[in-house]
Amino acid sequence: MNKIVSNVKNPQNDDRSDKLKLYSIGSVVILIAIVLLVNVLFDKILGKALTFDFSDALSNTISQESIDYINGLPADTKIRIVGLFDKPADVAQTEYQYICPLLDDYVKNSKGKITVDYINPNTQPTIISQLDPDNSFNLSSQTGNFVIKYNDKIKIISPYDCYSYDETYLSQGYYYVTGNNAEYSFTNSMYILTNGYSCKAYLITGLEEDDSNYIAKILESMAIEPIGLPVSENFTVPEDCDLIIMNGPQNDISEKMYVELSSFIKRGGKLFVAVDFNVVNVTEKYERLNRLLNEMNLVIDPYLIAENDSGYQLGGYQLDHLVKACEGFTDYAEITLLHSTNARSVRSADIPGNTFKTAPVLRTSENASTTALDQYGNVIESSMVSGKQFYAAMYSAGEGDDPAKAFVFGTMNFTSDQYISSYGINDTNVDFFKSCLRELTSSKQFNTLNVPTKNVENFSLDATKSTTSASTVVLVVFMILIPVLLVALAVIVYNKRKNL
Amino acid sequence: MLAIFKREFLSYFRSPVGYVAIALFSFLSGFIFYSQFATGAVNIATEVISLRSFFVIIVPIITMGLLSEDKKRGTDVLYYTTPVSLFNVVVGKVLAAFALYAIMFINVVIHIIVTLACGGDFEVGCIGTIIVFFFMAFMFITIGLFASAITDSQIISAIVAFVIILVTQLISTIGSYAGAAVTSVLSAIKVESATAAGNGIASAIAWFDPFVKTQDFRLGIFSVSALIYLVSIGVLFLYLTFRVLEKKRWSQA
Repeated sequence: MNKIVSNVKNPQNDDRSDKLKLYSIGSVVILIAIVLLVNVLFDKILGKALTFDFSDALSNTISQESIDYINGLPADTKIRIVGLFDKPADVAQTEYQYICPLLDDYVKNSKGKITVDYINPNTQPTIISQLDPDNSFNLSSQTGNFVIKYNDKIKIISPYDCYSYDETYLSQGYYYVTGNNAEYSFTNSMYILTNGYSCKAYLITGLEEDDSNYIAKILESMAIEPIGLPVSENFTVPEDCDLIIMNGPQNDISEKMYVELSSFIKRGGKLFVAVDFNVVNVTEKYERLNRLLNEMNLVIDPYLIAENDSGYQLGGYQLDHLVKACEGFTDYAEITLLHSTNARSVRSADIPGNTFKTAPVLRTSENASTTALDQYGNVIESSMVSGKQFYAAMYSAGEGDDPAKAFVFGTMNFTSDQYISSYGINDTNVDFFKSCLRELTSSKQFNTLNVPTKNVENFSLDATKSTTSASTVVLVVFMILIPVLLVALAVIVYNKRKNL
Repeated sequence: MLAIFKREFLSYFRSPVGYVAIALFSFLSGFIFYSQFATGAVNIATEVISLRSFFVIIVPIITMGLLSEDKKRGTDVLYYTTPVSLFNVVVGKVLAAFALYAIMFINVVIHIIVTLACGGDFEVGCIGTIIVFFFMAFMFITIGLFASAITDSQIISAIVAFVIILVTQLISTIGSYAGAAVTSVLSAIKVESATAAGNGIASAIAWFDPFVKTQDFRLGIFSVSALIYLVSIGVLFLYLTFRVLEKKRWSQA
């Protein structure tokens, strides 16, 4: 009897069951809709406002310098940045790690003035003709790079341009990143596109000098267009030249160059010269270059500066030492003690022959010495002059409204790729160099942007602690000992409880 | 809730499951840590991100028995007869699994201490990845709990959890394949905007990828919306689990 009763359907139960089923399905559907709605709302509307950059160097956030520049642009400005590649799903540990999030921040702060797209020309070839209708830049070969377009002007930035690399490691084939220049590269490029270059600097090449990649970057950041000026038999200084830079020539200039450069100086040209003492130019006396500098009452001595004051020495080395900014140049960098290595002595000409006024720029202590070296790099004792103050850099300027000016540095620590790559574009020496450039081009240079470069994370361990034996301990403890102990515990527990 | 949490948490250590899960986690994290240590540079964020890939193995192990075992033994009837709300049952079990994950994470904490002792760096990106790790653990544990609620077999529960978590980890890849397929089909029937449609499909599917949403945390970029996404998916699966248990209550009525 009971069995029969239990099989009879209860209409009330069925009705209740249907209602609960409907409630259950309905509530799940409503919850899914709410979850979707809330996430779309947060992602698309509030997403950017609720995203915060807590990175140590604010690597993913543009600086106030860039924000001020963008805010200063007219409201109808349209700058288009296109990455010629498919944006990686995860940019971490790619060359775009510090670039893509930063570009998002440009968009966030630009109020529609800057747009960023990632379009792979291999899958969408029309992007090439959109960006460069005349094919002047051969953008099809720029896959992987960024293109910045403003009106009809274009600048191309490689992701590798956005970092500083240690030149010492680079020469051995290793890319050791020392700085993040992404914002520096993008803001300065946009500045040049929207404002144009203010003047031109010609860098003399062909005197066995080192590369000047970092000088070029620094000049670009100051809206000075860097152009190479190769040495040739028909060497002439272009009419539009505002500044000549000789960065580390290992050989002396030719007679023709002397004549041309002398003429350039006479018509109010600006000159920056940096040399040092190294194994290649140890016997070079730069006679013709000195003849040119003599016209500005300056001389580069063929003597190597050695610092005897331990307070100025760096790491106890006489040839690697501090130099102090002299009066008139103390505000060129935040600190007045700067770094000089293997410096040649620079001084005023013995017999000043014209109206040029000279001034020391960087000096040693009162207890330095100079000496000549033979062709093997050995000290010639008889040439040694001790217990004096020497200059590692001098300045000279003529008279008049826009006179000729020159800075002559006896050290390469302010301009060489080797130094800047190691110490970064924010280094005090680089700041000092930029101030010198501002002084030389003061009548024309107008880019006051000073976008900082940023540090990159360094996860290296202390080499004295992360030894091979320490690695072995880590291997044994973390990969063997702890897991084996836990498995042993599991076996013990299993054996104890298997019969329960 | 506390009683359920305590019972479930201790049950991990009354059977080999908890020890095996922690041993597996220790070995994997130890391997990743050693691989970095041997090169002289340790980024804890890389280790934590790599460990996220093993959710697909570890989460099914620790969640497979949470509800299915009770069903199998018939002890789940206690959920409906004792004066404890089903919500407390579900949350207590999630918290127990989550606590086990926290215990496992002690390995990484030891690695952090060793890294700092060896002069390494532990920067904000590492903190970001750890935050994401725990939010993601919560989300995947709720998925595992849901899988455990729909069956009385631990093996089926583990397989279901494994499949759902695997699909979650491969959403972007699935999206790109789906996008390519749509592009091919539309191109074949000569639709003009085939590529755009394909890309749209791929992006729409990839939008659900929790790994893409949270990838910038390792760079020090903290996104509240990404965390809300993880929590909301977790809450959704918690509710689904709750409904599955509720269904049994009213279907038995």
